[in-house]
Amino acid sequence: MIDVEGLTVNYGKTPVLWDVSFQIPQGVSVGILGPNGAGKSTLLKALLRIIPTMSGRMDFFGESSFSKVQKKIAYVPQRGSVDWDFPITAFEVVLMGRYGKLRLFGRPRAADKEAAYRALEIVGMRDYAHVQIGQLSGGQQQRIFIARALVQNGDIFLLDEPFAGVDLTTEKTMMALLKQETEKGKTICVVHHDLPTVKEYFDWVLLLNTRLIAVGPVSEVLTPENLCLAFGKNQMLFDEAARLAAKSASGIL
Amino acid sequence: MSFLDFFIDPVFRAPMWGTLLMCVASSLIGTILFLQKKTLLAESLSHATYPGVVLGVALLGWFFPSQEKWAFAVVLLGALFSSYLGLKMIRFLQEKQKVSTDASLCFVLSLFFGIGVLGISGMQSILPSWNKQVQMLLFGQAATMTDLHILLYGILACCVVFFVWLMFHPLKAIVFDPDFSKSVKLPVPMLERILFWCLLVSLVLGMRSVGVVLMSGMVIAPAVAARQYTSSFSKMLWLSALFGACSGLLGNILSILGTSYLSRNGEMLTIPTGPMIILVGGCFAFYALAFAPERGLVFRKLRIRSFHRKCLEENCLKGFWKKGSLSYAGVQALLGISPFRAFFAVRRLVRKGWVIKEHKTYRLTPDGMHKAASIVRLHRLWELYLANMLKLETGKVHKTAEEMEHILTPEIEAKLTELLANPTRDPHEQPIPQRRGL
Amino acid sequence: MSPYWGVDFFEFFAVFFKRLFSLEIVHLATDEIQMIVLSCIAISCALLGPFLVLKKMAMFANSLSHTILIGIVIAFLICSQGSMFDFTHLLIGALCAALFTALCTEGLVKYFRLTEDASVGLIFTFLFASGILLVTLCMRDVHLGVESVMGNADALVLSDVRTALYLVLINGGVIFLFYRHFQLSSFDRAFAQVLGLPGNVFHFLLLFLVAITCTGAFRAVGVLLVLAFLVGPYLTARLFCHRLPRILGWSCLIGMGAVLCGVALTRHILSMYDLPLSTGGMVVCMIGVIYFLGLGVKKAMGLCPKPHQRTKVLWTPND
Repeated sequence: MIDVEGLTVNYGKTPVLWDVSFQIPQGVSVGILGPNGAGKSTLLKALLRIIPTMSGRMDFFGESSFSKVQKKIAYVPQRGSVDWDFPITAFEVVLMGRYGKLRLFGRPRAADKEAAYRALEIVGMRDYAHVQIGQLSGGQQQRIFIARALVQNGDIFLLDEPFAGVDLTTEKTMMALLKQETEKGKTICVVHHDLPTVKEYFDWVLLLNTRLIAVGPVSEVLTPENLCLAFGKNQMLFDEAARLAAKSASGIL
Repeated sequence: MSFLDFFIDPVFRAPMWGTLLMCVASSLIGTILFLQKKTLLAESLSHATYPGVVLGVALLGWFFPSQEKWAFAVVLLGALFSSYLGLKMIRFLQEKQKVSTDASLCFVLSLFFGIGVLGISGMQSILPSWNKQVQMLLFGQAATMTDLHILLYGILACCVVFFVWLMFHPLKAIVFDPDFSKSVKLPVPMLERILFWCLLVSLVLGMRSVGVVLMSGMVIAPAVAARQYTSSFSKMLWLSALFGACSGLLGNILSILGTSYLSRNGEMLTIPTGPMIILVGGCFAFYALAFAPERGLVFRKLRIRSFHRKCLEENCLKGFWKKGSLSYAGVQALLGISPFRAFFAVRRLVRKGWVIKEHKTYRLTPDGMHKAASIVRLHRLWELYLANMLKLETGKVHKTAEEMEHILTPEIEAKLTELLANPTRDPHEQPIPQRRGL
Repeated sequence: MSPYWGVDFFEFFAVFFKRLFSLEIVHLATDEIQMIVLSCIAISCALLGPFLVLKKMAMFANSLSHTILIGIVIAFLICSQGSMFDFTHLLIGALCAALFTALCTEGLVKYFRLTEDASVGLIFTFLFASGILLVTLCMRDVHLGVESVMGNADALVLSDVRTALYLVLINGGVIFLFYRHFQLSSFDRAFAQVLGLPGNVFHFLLLFLVAITCTGAFRAVGVLLVLAFLVGPYLTARLFCHRLPRILGWSCLIGMGAVLCGVALTRHILSMYDLPLSTGGMVVCMIGVIYFLGLGVKKAMGLCPKPHQRTKVLWTPND
């Protein structure tokens, strides 16, 4: 389970996340929602320690030392951050999911390769195992990265806008797959952009707009009142104050 | 020798004016490249000039061996030609072959330089006396420039400056948003082409003073320095031209003075001008990066430190307001800081007139009372705002408000008061101090 | 008298293979020394180049090559005034310069918020200018210029062969041992970080290898031309393969091919026209020629697609 308290992330003099605190139990699928620039991707990156934070505590399974739980977390990054021209095949990408478990000089073993093929099978990409990733369609590329996450055998899955630019069938198939994982007791957190499908895909919702607006089961969080809070003008004073705070913290006038 | 002699004396004026004009032109173009994040293009193209120079000098030496004084013009033309070819090849690689930017720049750089090296090795045997015309371009040799150089360089530099002045507004649009510029029918391709020609001209002008290898430094350093002092495009152009000119001036003077100082014992030791100019330019850039008033690192760190100090003092004041009177130990215990910091914090408060010593403890002065009350007011207003308007849990609002009370400005306070309809109680049912003077 | 005296392009290879099979090659001629050293440099660079390009560090390698030159020269200055002139000292100078450049460049980006390209350009020109000044002040009659930038392949001796072989062994060994780490950190550095792997270690290891390769190649081709060896063969190989191990293999072959043709061509021109040309420059030109030939071949192949050639695979409705 994920336990966050007082997380604040600045980008120079711009506040991206402000004093975010929440707890997510095991075995739920969470949709992270919010307007553009609300800090959704930043939240995932902060959880994974990819970006530095201003302040805050982030614990996984009650453990505050990230290196101890690193191996249990699987990450699917945004599509924009991948170099599709890289000379690598789908199979090699999925195999990378196992690199964390190998030792310094270790080579991928037969079991790792078998797991990679199985993961490709599960996402329906077994036939494209040896195709260079740039030659695949958007949906196929996304499946590869989900297969990579599956191969890691993690307990927590963090996915950053996995369905942006992806066809609907892939989206439904992949979400069904991820739901199966939650039934096995894993936690899935997905940065999602499509409000109408939230009820169908997720058990919980985390509503974010630089600060946490609400977190909990879908029916409790997705109320008109909460959505109003996320976009209403009462937020403007808060944004102004958060900007001032970030400026003072970074020393830029 | 007076300062003016550098500009008038027939021996020194050519290199001085030459480098000045070159520096101004290249820093203007450098600003535009810097804003487009394409500064390394200058590096690649300056190396790409090499084969053209070799070819030009070889042709001159082969067909017109007596016309050595026109060698510099031929060098200019050759350099322009081969760097133009280099630019075409970079674009071809990037657009048609989808090669990444830095790989295409690096490939063209080394390939063209290799062709130049091949040419030079041939020239060493066929036209050995012309070799030095080419060698001096590696690291520059400003000292041997003549008035004829100044004329030609002056005209070219003026063309560059004139273009930038004429096309200022379209350039600004293109630099910041090329797609938007295309959509409003600005002649983007034509402007880009002229811009590239200006870059080539600036590079070629600078080759003689600074040399092929270091030329890109002259393009980058003034732009970096200028950016630290302003965010306005026009001011940045002026500033970078100024920094560029100063680098050229100082670099030249220092190298001349240095040479004469070091050669005073009879042995000839020349300080090369090109590296000196780059060093001065680089020093300006590093100084600006560290000490620019708004963006410089040093002042940023100082501002952060003074902000932390302000927070500490205001927390002290709040402590005094709640407890009435406190000793050093009391302050230390309340805020959880070291005795050292508590001591100095209280001392500062006394000096500023917020706090006064009474027997063995300290308490607030009337001014201090008002100040502390206003801080508490900000704190409790913010708590109320979070709880009522943003529906945060009452238990969580205190910690955020602790940070915000030091940051909220009087304008935000006025907006809060209006939004919350002049409240008297905070979420914990504590009274909110009224505004002073009301 | 060199066995290659007066031979033309094709005779060159005839003589070479004859000497190779009759084992006369044990007494190396200058041309053969050039071939071996340049081939070793080409292979080393072909192994490193793909990773540099994929990490978008090619221009940073350019900046490194300039500052490494200064490091080498300063080390040379210090050593020649001291007791012994030793290759190890040059290597230490080069490594220090490389590390210093890398740290300064990253520091400027991280702490001073400068854009990456401006940071690279500013640091290396400043360091290079300081280096030139230092050298001019300390050494009266140094001619820091032509030869250090271009190298002189025609002045290579037997000890250079040994250095070159060590270079290939080190580069080949490290790349082979840590291939998958380099592959991962080039493709997805964030993922490597998430997995808990020491991405930074391999980043600096790559820089370390580039530094020793530049030092090793310094005498033969000079620092600037090494860049062509790093980037050119990779670009050519990338036209045809899409798997990294194959690209590494093909880059090595292309590099060696360019070296053989370059050395043979230089000898040919020397014999036929009595014009001594720079072998380093010729090999770089060959690398360029091979790239353009590759482009031509690819275009010709594109006009008549082969049956096994993979075309763009689109989404199929069975998924």
